[in-house]
Amino acid sequence: MPATPAVPEASRPLLSPVVRVRRRRRREGEQGGEGLVAAFFLAPWFVGLFLITAGPIAASAYLSLTDFALIDAPEWIGLDNYREMWGDPRFWAALKATTLYVVVSVPLQLAFALALAVVLDRGLRGLWIYRSVFYLPSLLGGSVAIAVLWRQMFGTYGLVNRLLGLLGWDSPPGWVSTPEYALWTLVLLHVWTFGSPMVIFLAGLRQIPRMYYEAASVDGAGRVRRFFWITLPLLTPIIFFNLVLQVINSFQSFTQAFVISGGTGGPVDSTLFYTLYLYQRGFGELEMGYASAMAWVLLLVVGLVTGLNFLASRWWVFYGDE
Amino acid sequence: MRTRSGRLARGSLLRRVPAVVLALALAACGSGADPGSGPGSGGAGSGGAGRAAGKVTLRLAWWGSDSRHAYTQKIIDLFEAKHPDIVVDPDYGNFDDYWNKLATGIAGGNAPDVLQQDTKYLRDYAERGAMADLSPYLGKEIAVADLDPVVATSGRVGDKTYGLPTGVNAYAVVADPAAFAAARVPLPDDATWTWERFTSVAASITKGSPKGVYGVQDPGPVDITLEVFAGQRGERLFTPDGRPGLSKATLTAYYTMLAGLVASGAEPPPSVSVEIAPAGVDRSLVATGQGAMAMFWTNQLGALAKAAGKELTLLRLPGDSPTSGTYYKPAMFWSVNARTAHPRESAMLLDFLLNDPEAARLTLSDRGLPANLVRRKAVVGSLGTADQVAARFLEKLRPTIGATPALPPKGSGKISGTVVKKTNEQILFKRLTPEQAADTFLRQAASALKR
Repeated sequence: MPATPAVPEASRPLLSPVVRVRRRRRREGEQGGEGLVAAFFLAPWFVGLFLITAGPIAASAYLSLTDFALIDAPEWIGLDNYREMWGDPRFWAALKATTLYVVVSVPLQLAFALALAVVLDRGLRGLWIYRSVFYLPSLLGGSVAIAVLWRQMFGTYGLVNRLLGLLGWDSPPGWVSTPEYALWTLVLLHVWTFGSPMVIFLAGLRQIPRMYYEAASVDGAGRVRRFFWITLPLLTPIIFFNLVLQVINSFQSFTQAFVISGGTGGPVDSTLFYTLYLYQRGFGELEMGYASAMAWVLLLVVGLVTGLNFLASRWWVFYGDE
Repeated sequence: MRTRSGRLARGSLLRRVPAVVLALALAACGSGADPGSGPGSGGAGSGGAGRAAGKVTLRLAWWGSDSRHAYTQKIIDLFEAKHPDIVVDPDYGNFDDYWNKLATGIAGGNAPDVLQQDTKYLRDYAERGAMADLSPYLGKEIAVADLDPVVATSGRVGDKTYGLPTGVNAYAVVADPAAFAAARVPLPDDATWTWERFTSVAASITKGSPKGVYGVQDPGPVDITLEVFAGQRGERLFTPDGRPGLSKATLTAYYTMLAGLVASGAEPPPSVSVEIAPAGVDRSLVATGQGAMAMFWTNQLGALAKAAGKELTLLRLPGDSPTSGTYYKPAMFWSVNARTAHPRESAMLLDFLLNDPEAARLTLSDRGLPANLVRRKAVVGSLGTADQVAARFLEKLRPTIGATPALPPKGSGKISGTVVKKTNEQILFKRLTPEQAADTFLRQAASALKR
């Protein structure tokens, strides 16, 4: 059926054939053109996906079933890498350190970001300055420079310990180099990069209709009550969004642990993040097959955790239209 | 009008799409094909431009201290002046990063052309086909007649030569006489001291020094300490046929000694040790004036003294038996990437690094006391104090020296690197008893060599 189906049947007699043709042509032209333009603008992403990402992903699936030393050809060994992982204490140490890091640092960071967003949402003067200042750590936090700074600050002879010395603590431990504390310096660093969830929270807060608060005030609800009964429930979708993103990100943390531990994941594997161990096996010990297998297991773990997150969200995320 | 121009623009855009895609595809193919055609050298990819100017670009990679980076650059300048048609790009870093980068570079087909190698990894790289056999160039582009016979063939695997030794060195205790004096502890007699004496000397230095100055830097993260310790008991980390060579008794004794250093206060608290372990020469205790002793290779004395800004001396490693366990080590090797696009020029650069009198005068004994005996004789006279000390020390060792261990087997890097370091950390932080540490070590060593 060549006629234009989009034009309602009833209106058709009113259009002259010329108009009809012209309209059809324009429509086709536009549709075809827009499709192509869209394809054009999507092309870089697709080129990136297929040339840069998809190939390596497929390759790593294959490599995970091989013994591959990086400097010579891979050798097929089936599921041996996965079997080795099961009995590898450092693999479990890495998974444990990473999970602890995610479980502690993500909620802390989100709570901190939300608290600041609520304070900043009060319509302060010069809000944009605060916003920028608080966002800054997010831009810097993942960088090597900040991790180096962190290592210096929290080292045995670092700035933090000098301050503690001034306060009368005789010889405080090296925070980055004591197994009991090292991971917590990384948690602190992560919490400090609260900027991006904060900005998202700020946007979310703006969307809560004022009238809810007005109504609540009229009913005599105080500030705390309004926060817990209006702000928090209406913000749950945003919290959920931030949670999912941050959990996925945190599982992949690498730079900070790498720099702070000098690439070792030490002391005693206390900061051995999963990706850091993966890197050590792949590049340090030339076991790229094992490293690839670890990458796939990480994908499974992150997928599983994200799935659980979505399942759990049914119980606590409140969408306004429900 | 507006729509028309809009459509025109769109049209021309659309017409350009295939061209853009084609260009992208070509660019992708180009970079994809590059490693096959011209790996190894940064300049090989841009062969067109390079050839037009008649220049060959080589990349030279090494690890080391700041002073090594500086004088190696001077050697490069000299080489370029003598060979105007060759450009040499430097590529350097610290020891750990160097190996990560090298492996990645070789996998990606853009590894350096000429590179520093170590006994720890040479056989591994050679057996996997990543290093070039230098045999065809020996006696031609690369002069080898003057090389010290003790190490001249140490870069051989089977009947092929994969590396030429830069020099010889030995493992030693670097001591700061000023720190000994300040703590009112006399320098020990290093011909007779036992490990127990070593521990008590270091502990009394810690006691006699101001807070924050310690007797000795933790020697545990380095496998050579273990290699020498085992040598004194007639064992080696690896047997000549490439199997784990340590007994549980030796390992237990070794870890008991290390635990004793921590417990007696001979070395800094574990967290300080952990912080300085990866930092290399420039931040070692003897370089920063925070310690009286540390174990290093003799060729590192110059860099240490420079960093410390004072004179340091060398002592023999302690031992409980008449066997010293110490050996002459080929300090490092110069090797050539098997996939270099310019093997002949690479061989020429290697020869220059190994044999050129000017290069030798710049290197002095930083890459070991020169393997080239003629250069060694010429250089010894002009060595600075630290290097003189190192050269004399090596001579003093000669009567007690043992055989140089064979190049360690494939997979050994994991033992001498990760297993040694991680087990040491567990001793430092008291996570394992010496006996448990010995068991852990044996188990991990066996599984590392199984692959």
